[in-house]
Amino acid sequence: MKAILRALRAELAAIFGDPQILSVMVVSLAIYALIYPYPYRPELLREVPVAVVDLDNSAGSRQLARDIDASEAVAVVARPPTMAEAERLVHERRAYGILLVPQGFERELLRGRQSPIAIYADASYFLMYQKTLTGIAGPARTTGVQVQVARQLATGTSRTEALSGASPIALVEVPLFNPAGGYATYILPAAFVLILQQTMMMGLGLVATRRAPSADPLPWRMLGRAGAWLGLYALLLPMYLVVLPWAYGLPWLGHLPALAMLGVPFVLAVGFLAQAVAAVLRRAEIVQMVLLSLGMPLFFLSGFSWPIESLPPLLRAAAQAIPSTAMIEGYVRSAQMGAGLAELAPLIRQLWLLAFAYAGITLLLRLGASGSRLSAARLEVRSREAGDAL
Amino acid sequence: MSGLVTAIRREFRLIRRRPALIGLTVLLPLALCVLLAFVFRSGVATNLPVAVVDLDRSSLSRQVVRMLDATPDIEVSARADSLPEARSLILSGRARGALLLPAGFERDALRGARPEAVIFYDNQHMSAGSVVARGARNAVTAASGGLSVSLREAQGAGSLQATAAAQPMLLQTHALFNPALDYVDFLLAALMPAVIQLMAAAATTYAVSLDFGPGRHARVLPRLAGGLLPAMLGKLLPYTFLFMLILGISDVGLYGWLGVPLRGSLLLMGVGAALFIIACQLIGALCFLLTRDFARAISFVGVILAPALGYMGIGFPREAMPPLAQAWSALIPGTWYIQLRIDQSLRATPMDLSVWPVLYLLAIAVALGLIVLLRLDRMRSALAPATARTARRTA
Repeated sequence: MKAILRALRAELAAIFGDPQILSVMVVSLAIYALIYPYPYRPELLREVPVAVVDLDNSAGSRQLARDIDASEAVAVVARPPTMAEAERLVHERRAYGILLVPQGFERELLRGRQSPIAIYADASYFLMYQKTLTGIAGPARTTGVQVQVARQLATGTSRTEALSGASPIALVEVPLFNPAGGYATYILPAAFVLILQQTMMMGLGLVATRRAPSADPLPWRMLGRAGAWLGLYALLLPMYLVVLPWAYGLPWLGHLPALAMLGVPFVLAVGFLAQAVAAVLRRAEIVQMVLLSLGMPLFFLSGFSWPIESLPPLLRAAAQAIPSTAMIEGYVRSAQMGAGLAELAPLIRQLWLLAFAYAGITLLLRLGASGSRLSAARLEVRSREAGDAL
Repeated sequence: MSGLVTAIRREFRLIRRRPALIGLTVLLPLALCVLLAFVFRSGVATNLPVAVVDLDRSSLSRQVVRMLDATPDIEVSARADSLPEARSLILSGRARGALLLPAGFERDALRGARPEAVIFYDNQHMSAGSVVARGARNAVTAASGGLSVSLREAQGAGSLQATAAAQPMLLQTHALFNPALDYVDFLLAALMPAVIQLMAAAATTYAVSLDFGPGRHARVLPRLAGGLLPAMLGKLLPYTFLFMLILGISDVGLYGWLGVPLRGSLLLMGVGAALFIIACQLIGALCFLLTRDFARAISFVGVILAPALGYMGIGFPREAMPPLAQAWSALIPGTWYIQLRIDQSLRATPMDLSVWPVLYLLAIAVALGLIVLLRLDRMRSALAPATARTARRTA
């Protein structure tokens, strides 16, 4: 018990006594909390600039352009006379979509023939593409249905009958959990988990590379350290995953007990993974370099922004070995989607499994390393003695 | 000049001798690019699991479900008996959405009462959710259109007439520059340079710290190279070369293996790439020169370049960001390099517009270069008396 407490105190002293480690684990965490979310503050993309090429120039086509301009998603910023000029605007990034209304648009409509219009949306930026499509296609479809209903009303059918003839099945789309499609709501919760993991790994990895030797048995030391991590992150994790989302006005449906049930094995898994990484990479600079560069790849490997179903099976399995993969899913499902313990249970199990696995790996690595280090130290002493003798 | 060559030779010798240096500057970035390439290799998300709550169990409802399953975006993964069951499937991640077909669906459709098919989709996982929504929209619209035409044909209209009446305004949508909406072209092509940006800066910080860090003999290399400036150049240029090589290899993978189109000027891409790498390296060097401590310098590099992907405007466009974020993103080399790449690969942008990102990159590189020079000048005056002293002593 004393050995455990000694290790706990030593770990905390190592974290708070070393300005470098403190700056990685606490200062960087604070700076990232400010810098990372900032570009997404407006949440939604509105009024994407589009150009309308109206070759018909009729009352109907002008009305369509007005309807499109009125939608929240897009704004008509230019009415170039030719397609070539509209394309130039897109290349200049002054417009991200083009609506082309061909000649004879209104006449065809009135004659009861199918009348085509075309949308060209810039797909080199996906969010722009989506907004342009919803902004133009919505009003265009409405106009289409109106025309058809008007036509049928003219032939004497009733309004509901006319509407059902045009589209006999109504589709209702219900976006769940992030109904407005806010970008900050989408990306930030996952990013917060990843930032937490990377700074924690970096800090604890540095502690591990700078540790003074101790005579206490390794399992007791590991238990003590784990206690220190849990103590520190009992503060930092709720700051990052509860207070920060609240400060940024993100929806939060989670429960603190559920967060604790995810958080405890997460902190343990990340802490022991950091020990294992430090045991393999050994030098502080290398630990920092490797962890810094892994941040972005791990985010996309976690299957949050790029669906995990689309990962090759081998990578999908490998991704499960990284604590952030399960924690991002668990945290997002709990805090943003309101999942209960029944839905979270497999993820909690996975995090505990990782914690135990990395603790075991650390134990094996350290035991192996301490054997070789001992012999290296003995060798050094002997050569120094030899030097003194000369 | 010969001093510079000596310094470059020495650096390459160092790289060969130190496994850590070659691992961090060459193998790690390459490995990460390969990893990302495999993550995004499939390019488009297909067969996302969707649950079906079919409360009608009629031939029409079964047909809608078949059409849903037939869209490449979606795979009907589960049949739920109730909405709460479907909700639990979505919450646990076993489904990305659920289609509800209410009781009386077929009867209402044939009677002209317009029954509602409801697609619930997980919009917290927005990229997966929007694919599911699109797939369901296509499937239900197709089913509805088919039914509308057959109803009219039953009323005695010709099939062409029936189609025109069902769909008076034909909406043709064209996805400019990336017609397949491929994530490889859109995201991976920007992600690789973003990773290389961070790595080039971090590797430079590391390499510089090996000679100028605390506890190192900061005067050895300047003396060898005949000055601080050639010493610094000799330190940086080998990594410029290596990271150009890494960028080149990842581009062979991207434009060759993964088939991202390349429709612009290779010369412009090359010049831009060189300026981009140099600018990243200067950020790394500057972070070190300002702190003179590797750990602090590398945290600076991280703070500047780790969130850079968000500021580069790939996912959330720059135009929508707050003004301060736009200004900051304009200072990040990757912002302009990615724009140049998108212009030259996907968009085939006219030449007069294409040169702008290169000019921005040039401006950033020159500005960073000047700051580094100023900083070196200060260092020189700090080192000078000592150098003079050693010179006197050897004399």
